[in-house]
Amino acid sequence: MTARPRKADERITPGDLKRAGVKSILERVRKAKGYFVTNTERDLSQSDFKNRIMPHTQILGAEPRNAAGFFSIEISGGASVHVDLLRKQISPLEKLQILSAYMPDTLFQTLCRGINLFGYRPYPDNVIRLTVGAFAKYVHVWRVFDFLNYIPNMVPVFEEVKKADCLLEPSICFSTGPEHTDEFYVGKVGEILEVTGPDILLCIKNHAGLGTAKRIGDLVRAILDRYPSLIIHYHGHNTDGNDIGRIVEAVRNGAKIVDAGDHSFVGFFGPPPILTVVETLEDYGYRAVGLDKQSVIDTSNVLRPERENYRDFESQFLGFDPSVQIHKLPGGATGSSFEQAVKGNFLHLMPDILQKELPQVQVELGNWWSVTPGSQILWTTAVNNVIKDGRYRNANDDLKNLMLERYGEFPFYRPAEEIYRAVFGSDWKKIIEREGGYQKIEDVDLEIEKRVLEHRLGRPASGDELVLYLQHPNDAVSFFKFEEKYGKTWVLPPSVWFRKGGFSLGEKFEFQDAFGKLHKLEIGPQRRTKDGDYITLLVVDHHPEPILTVIEDEGGAKPRAVTLSPKEIEALARSGDIRAPIKGLVNQIPGAVGDAVNTGEILVVLEAMKMLTNITSEVSGKISEIFVSPGSDIEVGDRLMTINMEA
Amino acid sequence: MKKKIKRVLIANRGEIALRIIRTVKELGLDAVAVYEKPDSEAYFLRFADQAILLGDGPRKDYLSIEKMIWAARKSGADAIHPGYGFLAENPEFSAACDEAGIAFIGPPPGVIRDLGNKVTARNIMKRAGIPFIPGTGNLSAGEDGVREGAAFGNRFGYPLMLKASSGGGGRGIRKVVNEADLQTQLPQARSEAISAFHDDGIYIEKFIESPRHVEVQILADSHGSICHLGTRDCSIQRRHQKLLEIAPAELPPDVLESMHKTAITAAREAGYVNAGTVEFLVDPRTNEFWFMEVNTRLQVEHTVTEMLSGIDIVRQQILVAQGDKLEIPSERINLIGKAVQVRINAEDPKNSFMPEGGKRVEVYQSPGGPGIRLDGIVYQNFKIPTDYDSLLVKLTVRGYEWPQTIQRLKRALNDFLIVGPKTTIPFYLAICDEKDFQAGRFTTDYIETHPEIFNYPEPEREVAKLAKLIAEIHSKRSNPYAM
Repeated sequence: MTARPRKADERITPGDLKRAGVKSILERVRKAKGYFVTNTERDLSQSDFKNRIMPHTQILGAEPRNAAGFFSIEISGGASVHVDLLRKQISPLEKLQILSAYMPDTLFQTLCRGINLFGYRPYPDNVIRLTVGAFAKYVHVWRVFDFLNYIPNMVPVFEEVKKADCLLEPSICFSTGPEHTDEFYVGKVGEILEVTGPDILLCIKNHAGLGTAKRIGDLVRAILDRYPSLIIHYHGHNTDGNDIGRIVEAVRNGAKIVDAGDHSFVGFFGPPPILTVVETLEDYGYRAVGLDKQSVIDTSNVLRPERENYRDFESQFLGFDPSVQIHKLPGGATGSSFEQAVKGNFLHLMPDILQKELPQVQVELGNWWSVTPGSQILWTTAVNNVIKDGRYRNANDDLKNLMLERYGEFPFYRPAEEIYRAVFGSDWKKIIEREGGYQKIEDVDLEIEKRVLEHRLGRPASGDELVLYLQHPNDAVSFFKFEEKYGKTWVLPPSVWFRKGGFSLGEKFEFQDAFGKLHKLEIGPQRRTKDGDYITLLVVDHHPEPILTVIEDEGGAKPRAVTLSPKEIEALARSGDIRAPIKGLVNQIPGAVGDAVNTGEILVVLEAMKMLTNITSEVSGKISEIFVSPGSDIEVGDRLMTINMEA
Repeated sequence: MKKKIKRVLIANRGEIALRIIRTVKELGLDAVAVYEKPDSEAYFLRFADQAILLGDGPRKDYLSIEKMIWAARKSGADAIHPGYGFLAENPEFSAACDEAGIAFIGPPPGVIRDLGNKVTARNIMKRAGIPFIPGTGNLSAGEDGVREGAAFGNRFGYPLMLKASSGGGGRGIRKVVNEADLQTQLPQARSEAISAFHDDGIYIEKFIESPRHVEVQILADSHGSICHLGTRDCSIQRRHQKLLEIAPAELPPDVLESMHKTAITAAREAGYVNAGTVEFLVDPRTNEFWFMEVNTRLQVEHTVTEMLSGIDIVRQQILVAQGDKLEIPSERINLIGKAVQVRINAEDPKNSFMPEGGKRVEVYQSPGGPGIRLDGIVYQNFKIPTDYDSLLVKLTVRGYEWPQTIQRLKRALNDFLIVGPKTTIPFYLAICDEKDFQAGRFTTDYIETHPEIFNYPEPEREVAKLAKLIAEIHSKRSNPYAM
């Protein structure tokens, strides 16, 4: 790559933050002529690609992205921490470490769900301290929110972020409706400033892309009228196709930072394209500070060919959805709601659910913000109300906890009594009295947790491993075990990681492993063993290596056939599953895969005690698989071949 | 003047058979290999001009003098090289060859017999004034023997060693710490010696604490020339079995010179002809050395000497056996640098070096480049024998100085890729990183005093892990860890 001029004097780098400190960086943002852009790669991946964008792709785009001069790149947090462990098999901390080496000049940003951190339920204070501390090694900008805008739910994270000398960005979640007035939000900002002091960025978190351009412009103006030196970072989604309008009005009214994504990867439910935002605002006389447009274009040029690898993760339901203003589902939840409807066989009910039931549920439950974990509660409740008997009669624990106000106070009003009755039964008042109220989570004993983890791993665990374990215990352990067995697989390109239908014979890949060594792999022939396992001959760095893949049945156990009785073996033979009735050696196999066989024809000749025994066919059909070859040792019950009787 | 040798039968198997075949072919002679049935897939057979099946084995046919003579007659071989082990130091074999009119490539039967018996050997060395560790002749039977032993213990002090007169290669040795111990151990040593060597002769030697084991390679022709090819330090042993050999031994020049002279004197006194090794124990504190024994065969570790000297010892053995003079006069022998040999075995050092018999070598990649010599019989898909030893390949490297030699050894060990069985490679790598080894400080109790070298990691190759996943994605037609 050719070196491109950097607007080094304008952009804010991690080094600047370290040297100058939070106060001085905030002052630079305030004084800068123009506005800054955050590249919300994480939210784009989460909203339009089910969080699947792989480290390999991020590394490919890292150099031009680093050169682009963004205020920050949002590359962690939200659901990505869980998906990293569960579906990408990378440590979300190691990912940040690797990417920060590729993007040393760019601030990294995360999205933290307050005391829910990167999960779905509240964590105790000591876990919050440990987790924020671990991520703060790589993350410079901390966007923090709570789905009830309940400030106490964010305070422990605020404190830790400040301690780590990172930029703190508390959010007010935005929605629409009669209660969602400027006065309300300005009041919330005041509550935040009371606990954080003035040295923050403030995010308007428009996770569903709600409201009009004018509505957002008015809100920004109202906040700045009350708190003129506050730096506002506007975050929105383009679900209705008009986030650029909202961004423009936000900036025209004084927002200093806005969110957008790389155009070659933008979809319908995430951020709008960076370049369109920048060009539009330029015409209004607003300059994107430090931003190099050519690098933004270069990034998309590099990334564009990669998008096809992620096609399976884009929603089947494409197109903007202006009705988001009614159902208010955030980001990717719009796309995934349709997919759940397909899976759950209620696609035909979707217009009702999205346009009638869901808005009604929102109003009935208090008209708070449809964002994790609240969005999941609203969606599940609406679906249950429609497809199951009786509204609110199938409440899950999350809805119950919410209604018990364990997660925090309702911001505007409580649900009606009949809803409490439907959820908790006729004793609802007693239950509220007994169990209701904000629930403070007790600290866990970290030493004990560490010992449990080490016991599960059978080896010492690192501090980072403990952090991940405390977030998602079972999935973290599965990941650690995966990594022990398969190594650092994040080096693999998505074309390998997401491959469907196997590779073709002779297909070659070249890749660097995590330690920098270059490798070449070529797919060789594959055969199936009599146990149903596969042996693949891979040419690894010029040496052919036979690699065994054990195929387990659904219970995870290996199917072993040796205990079959003669009767069972006969029965299987009548279904075309030919098993060995005796122990011995395969002497001869007259047919080949694809050959037609008739009842009574010889399929396999076995040799035992120097005697030959014919296995004849009980059925007519075509040989579909042969598991043994002449000379194979066989045990009673071993698979010999299968005959497809339909043929 | 003896007759020129034309066809050499190699009465051995494995790497040493291949080693000898290579020189036989360089000399333009025919090489005849012999094998037992379990060895019918063996690598060394592919290099011979003909291969003769001895029988079903295992091991008994390689030990059969009659079968070897029969095979030599059948193949028309006029010479036999015994290699090491099996029949190599059996005087009857050398004698049988003589009788059959076949040249035995090794010392005459009388020399093998004399030097093979420890007491006879001691008497010869005494005659020549060779220093040896204080010891006794064969002890008398019964209580008299115990009394003689106790008298020795009183005079020279404990601990002392009981040794079987017909033992060797580290077998038939017991350490005794006091008189009571002597009472119990002597009868045990006798019954062991009978069952192992068919000879209950036992003698006593003083025990030297943490000695070094240094040997001198000698070559002698039938015209009276005897030369030495320098020393080898074989101190690093496990239960008296050598693991790693270094040439030359790190000793002051005057000590080395005196040891060379002593070895030549010993050989001359024994009437030695052909290649042999004179072994000494060295006290690392005083550099005093004492005669131990003479090995009347080509040794496993001869490769280090060949690397240093550039002399093909097997070639000299064949020339001497046909009555020629040694090719290279002593004054032209130069020993340059420092060489080390390691035996790469399919064994698990962490599990008492348990052989990995029956496993297959799925991938084999060997090192190359400067200063590397390999003597091996392993290849991709090689099955570790269950009937024979588990040696895969001997790696010998030479550098100028000890630190460079270690660096080169480490590089070569790291360049091996052996998938399938466990090997001794990571164990040797751990030794390469050990401080005393790097400083050249090692004695025969090195392994016992450095247990930490067994704590080496055995990391799987990163690419092997990734390959496992790719094979799984291929086999399952999608990636189960991405869904």
